[in-house]
Amino acid sequence: MIFGYLDPGSGSLILQALLGGIAGIGVAYKAWKHKRMTKRLTKEGVDPSSSVDDPSVTAES
Amino acid sequence: MTAADPGSFRDPASRVLIDADRVVRVLDQRGLNAWKALADSQFFSNAVSDGQVIAATELPDPPQGESGALEHPRVPMITYPYEWTFSMLKDAAMLQLDLLARALDDGLTIKDATPFNIQFIEGRPVFIDIGSFEPYREGEPWIGYRQFTRQFLFPLMLRAWLDVPFQPWLRGDMEGPTAAQMRNLLPRGKRSKPSVMVHVGLQARMEERMAGEAVRDELQQAGFNAGIILANVEKLQNLISGMAWEPGADGWAAYDSCSHVGRDRETKAGFLRHAMSRHRPERVLDLGANDAYFSEIASDGGAHAIAVDSDESILERVYKESAGKSMSLALSELANPSPDQGWSGVERPSLFARADADLIIAYGLIHHLIYSASIPPSLVVGWLRRFDCPVVVEFVAPDDEMVKTLTSNKHDDELHPGRDEAAFRKLIAGSFDIASEKRLGSGTRVLFQLAPV
Repeated sequence: MIFGYLDPGSGSLILQALLGGIAGIGVAYKAWKHKRMTKRLTKEGVDPSSSVDDPSVTAES
Repeated sequence: MTAADPGSFRDPASRVLIDADRVVRVLDQRGLNAWKALADSQFFSNAVSDGQVIAATELPDPPQGESGALEHPRVPMITYPYEWTFSMLKDAAMLQLDLLARALDDGLTIKDATPFNIQFIEGRPVFIDIGSFEPYREGEPWIGYRQFTRQFLFPLMLRAWLDVPFQPWLRGDMEGPTAAQMRNLLPRGKRSKPSVMVHVGLQARMEERMAGEAVRDELQQAGFNAGIILANVEKLQNLISGMAWEPGADGWAAYDSCSHVGRDRETKAGFLRHAMSRHRPERVLDLGANDAYFSEIASDGGAHAIAVDSDESILERVYKESAGKSMSLALSELANPSPDQGWSGVERPSLFARADADLIIAYGLIHHLIYSASIPPSLVVGWLRRFDCPVVVEFVAPDDEMVKTLTSNKHDDELHPGRDEAAFRKLIAGSFDIASEKRLGSGTRVLFQLAPV
């Protein structure tokens, strides 16, 4: 849900996780991986919400 | 009559209404909930008592259709970041970061990061947009990060690292330079700085690659937390606290070494004090204030002084000595003052729409407008008349040593006619009565106290 009136910028949101130390880098990687999977599944016509936890689906594939 | 502040409309949760002497913030239900959380926090009471955040009093009877209303003390003079010096923007940036860190420690956050939410009161930055605070929701990133870089960090980089003034950029584009624009501006040597590589280079690249993609939910699910924001804020605090700008010794910073300045200063001060005692002004606008010597006299005399000058180096010096003084500073060219701009041309009113005054000081000014900026004397007098209040003005004759310097590369027929004292007296006769006058020791300068007719 979007709460704010300000457009935060997608790239800038991910970047600030990278800037937040080691914990932030882990969060940024997980978010990026999730994003990539969601995009790929959507492209393949699969509902991402039902498959995103499927261990056979990896970000690298 | 109550009217909506033309610059307060972007946040639907909170808007400011202005009438003659009251500033009222109206809140919708979401804004009211955020206010309740803020008002109950230790952070807010500490920040208000430290003078970092403006005070707010909840009104028992909000206007019809509103869920809540707050009243704030009035800020003496609203100024905008394109009218600030380097240190003013730097201090505002440090305040923004400090408040965000302390708010997060108390379960709150700031939902934007714009210097337009900060004003200078008695020489100190004060955060005035109470509506920007809201409870922090676990997993939410810092929504204002990009805005912070564009409106605080990148402008400071321009001045500190490239010695390029940021004010023309912010006046032309109030959103500030983008990361991609900064990447193009910074020379190769600067791009290898770690802070530039991430805040500029990496941000530009990620903004280009990820434009329009929804990532907030992904960050939340991946475990984003306030600690990550605090780590980023701490790095930004270290970066910005190390930024410095040393003004050059040229220009007006050397003005007080001019012979006429020391010679005439006390006579001009006495003339101003006389005008002050006659008119008892509450607000004095000092046009071409230079080192704000006369603004200080006005301030010491009980008025709020608004010192306007175009020289950043000297206003920077004045700012550093302005704590506790009833004085506002505005960096602006008088031949090209800040205009009405923003949404619908009214969001950010012009400098002179904000700088209402009941006494004008125009010492050491009009010869620069006439001889350097080539403004015809009749237009200069008409401009002073439009302030519609008494004026103390220094007339400088064509044979004055400073005028000779200003016109050393101009032929007489390249200058506007009607520049001598007789012509000046004729010009003011149609607009002002001369309440008093005093010829200075040089014989080429005359002080006038003028009352509009």
